[in-house]
Amino acid sequence: MSYTVTDWDLIQKYVFDDPATVQLIQDAIVASFEIAAIVVVIDIITGLPMAWILVRKQFRGKQFLDTLIDMPLAVPTAALGFSAAIFWAVSKPSAEAPWFAVGEISSPFILVLLLHVIFSYPYMVRSLAAILEQIDQTYETAGQTLGASKLTAARTITLPLFRAGLVTGIILAMARSLSETGGTMIALATMANSQGFQTGPSLIGTLKSGLALNPDLAAPLAFISILLIALSLVLLVALKLVVMKVRLPAGRVWPKWEKILSRGIAPKLKDGFSGAFLIIIVLIPSFFIFAYVFTATASQGDWQTFWESLANSFIIAGVVTLVDIFLGIPLALYIARNKKGRLPQFLDVMVNIPLIVPTAALGYSLGIFWGGAPFISAIPFLLVIFAHIAFTYPLVVRNVEGAVEEVDAAYEDTARTLGARRLQTFRKVLFPMIKASVLAGAIMAFTRSLGETGATIAVAGTSVNTAPVYIVELINGEQFYMAALTCIVLIVVSFAFMLALRLVTRKRRAG
Amino acid sequence: MPEVRLEGLGKTYGKVVAVGGVDLVIRDKEYVTILGPSGCGKTTLIRMIAGIIEPSHGKVFLRGKDMRGVPIEDRGIGYVFQNIALFPNLNAAQNVAYSSRARGADKGVQEKVAREHLKLVKLLDRMAMFPDEMSGGEQQKVALARALASGSDLLLLDEPLSALDARVRVDLRYELRRLTKALGLTVVHVTHDQEEAMTVSDRIVLMRAGTIVEAGSPEELYSQPKHLFTANFIGESNFLEGWVREKVDSLTRIEIREGSTIEVLGSTLEPGDPVVISVRPEFIYPFTTGLRSKVTSSIYMGTYWRIKATTEGDDEMNFDVPITDGHLYQIGQDIYLMVNKRAAVLFPRPREGVEEAISLE
Repeated sequence: MSYTVTDWDLIQKYVFDDPATVQLIQDAIVASFEIAAIVVVIDIITGLPMAWILVRKQFRGKQFLDTLIDMPLAVPTAALGFSAAIFWAVSKPSAEAPWFAVGEISSPFILVLLLHVIFSYPYMVRSLAAILEQIDQTYETAGQTLGASKLTAARTITLPLFRAGLVTGIILAMARSLSETGGTMIALATMANSQGFQTGPSLIGTLKSGLALNPDLAAPLAFISILLIALSLVLLVALKLVVMKVRLPAGRVWPKWEKILSRGIAPKLKDGFSGAFLIIIVLIPSFFIFAYVFTATASQGDWQTFWESLANSFIIAGVVTLVDIFLGIPLALYIARNKKGRLPQFLDVMVNIPLIVPTAALGYSLGIFWGGAPFISAIPFLLVIFAHIAFTYPLVVRNVEGAVEEVDAAYEDTARTLGARRLQTFRKVLFPMIKASVLAGAIMAFTRSLGETGATIAVAGTSVNTAPVYIVELINGEQFYMAALTCIVLIVVSFAFMLALRLVTRKRRAG
Repeated sequence: MPEVRLEGLGKTYGKVVAVGGVDLVIRDKEYVTILGPSGCGKTTLIRMIAGIIEPSHGKVFLRGKDMRGVPIEDRGIGYVFQNIALFPNLNAAQNVAYSSRARGADKGVQEKVAREHLKLVKLLDRMAMFPDEMSGGEQQKVALARALASGSDLLLLDEPLSALDARVRVDLRYELRRLTKALGLTVVHVTHDQEEAMTVSDRIVLMRAGTIVEAGSPEELYSQPKHLFTANFIGESNFLEGWVREKVDSLTRIEIREGSTIEVLGSTLEPGDPVVISVRPEFIYPFTTGLRSKVTSSIYMGTYWRIKATTEGDDEMNFDVPITDGHLYQIGQDIYLMVNKRAAVLFPRPREGVEEAISLE
């Protein structure tokens, strides 16, 4: 942020006095917000019936469907980008997309849109399902006893009750889309002709890569980062206000039509469509990369760099997770146990901000901030760690906070009346009860760090070679086979962690 | 003519039988309570009538028509839920008008319906209030108005008063009966509260473990219960175990455990049969002769004293002494208890034992 103030002249010179740059930035930002908006709409339309199936229906294999929906979350977006691009897009001939890929999409806008739907869809379904679970089904039944058909009851009673919770889903999905860098860059680079198309974060990534050669790019970089941060914050605040304030109109009822749509083939079509969407739009493109490695020509790559990048990713993710845990638990305890105070409430909001700010912009902003510090700026590795802490820290805090809130404070008070000291009380009484949530938060932070591209590039360019950054480089160098292999290793590792997460959270529920 | 007829109606969940083959006819304009302890299947039963739960076997007939495959919204019922279930996004008037809105009526009609029915429950001044702005009692009255506004002549009440405070609960009982009788409705009311069932019903259907124990008017079930379970569940009873010693004219003489005898009017049981005598506390009184007992406690109840005494045979007896008689009995005091021979009811002693026969499961 300080950059804008001190070097406004530079921004004036390199951005506003250069119509081409202004146009470039404007196009990228507009594209980002357009995509985020359309993605959210698609997510809601297709996610709502899916959430309904998950919450209100009882059937065999529900557990399986539940797992399927979470699967794209286990795939790092860098890998998703490549996988989806190979499946959908008219790709570069050297990419050797298999003959059974769709390979029809030539518009970069639509490709990025499809990609963003894949990784935001699970967030939306999860958010909507969580709300739906909170809404008493008796309301709908009551509506039916009053003569409303199933559709009418759901539309006029349950849907309006969604409002408050819908904000969470929209914000999560939108923030994910606005923030996504690696997958977008990779998908665009895989296309035969991406027509110079850029989203806000991918532009940051591209500019940062060119920064070493052309220092003049610093100004537009700073400008677009700030613009992205500011716009997303404004948008999210606006969303929160608008969605909470707007009263849906009472709504007319068309008894005959809604009755017809409530029974017979219509509901089956709806469920079928939801399932088809999940499989065709979300799952197949996510995992298409596995089919790819069997058909593409194997090529010898630089395994040395590959293992290095993987090691870097793990070291960074590991350090980040440890720091998150040690700094996150005290804050979570403080917020959860002092919910009434003004400071804790303020902190509660502040902690969540890094979750909704585009990580590439966040990374660049952090890079400039720490750039002034003599010791830290000399070690890009440390910078990357700092950047990753910024957006993973909220995950740990939120998880732990939620768990602590569910534990009755009376346990701790009782322990202390029995003579236990504060630290002892935490270790022996509270910690065993929230252990699973700490672990869950840690695993989420770890996988998130492992898959992050945007922040890494924005903070350190390509000087710190993590696995996702390495994938971007490989794709830019058209080493598609090697890129696919790297993706698969990342997917397998993330998947193992995701499985661990499910096991941990399931145990928590059972206990 | 909204007659409700259930034929062999049952619901099983895997191996668990929630309701097992219930046959029941509820006549037009009758107020029937389905009474029973929690878990007896009464809620499952009323939900099958409404179509909320699909029966595993048997049939539901409403107004003479088989309801199989007929969805909830087409059954022509009004339903009041235990958890009230007013739509939180709508105010009182909109809640009450919902049934006409669901039928596609225009705004004017909706408003008229809302006014009319809120007036019935005397809550016209709460029209614009949202559910969370009203008290529990008011909410349930609005929910009742909402069910009545559907225009159905068959009202299903699923523990409608259980979620309310004790005082409100008692007031609303009378309101329920008054309103439904005035409107000439047929009512099926599910409750676990025997006092509630006594006050509102024309007929009580007592259930236990998924089946009907017996059905009858509140008076019949209270004064001439046909089952030990009924004697215990409806009101309070003292139970004494013994054998029929002899029958003299219309009197049956029973020998109870410690050797004393009790005389009871009429019975089909034969000498030698093991029996259980059931007597309400109000039909036991201290006398100069009778069962020798020792007072174990004396509790002040406001209008009467509740005295507990233990007989020589270790049976516990409860009886009441009007407050106007003064505090006559002290703990440890020896007394003699008489049983009103007209009011005692005889049951053959159940093979499984009295405890088991009156248990709620």
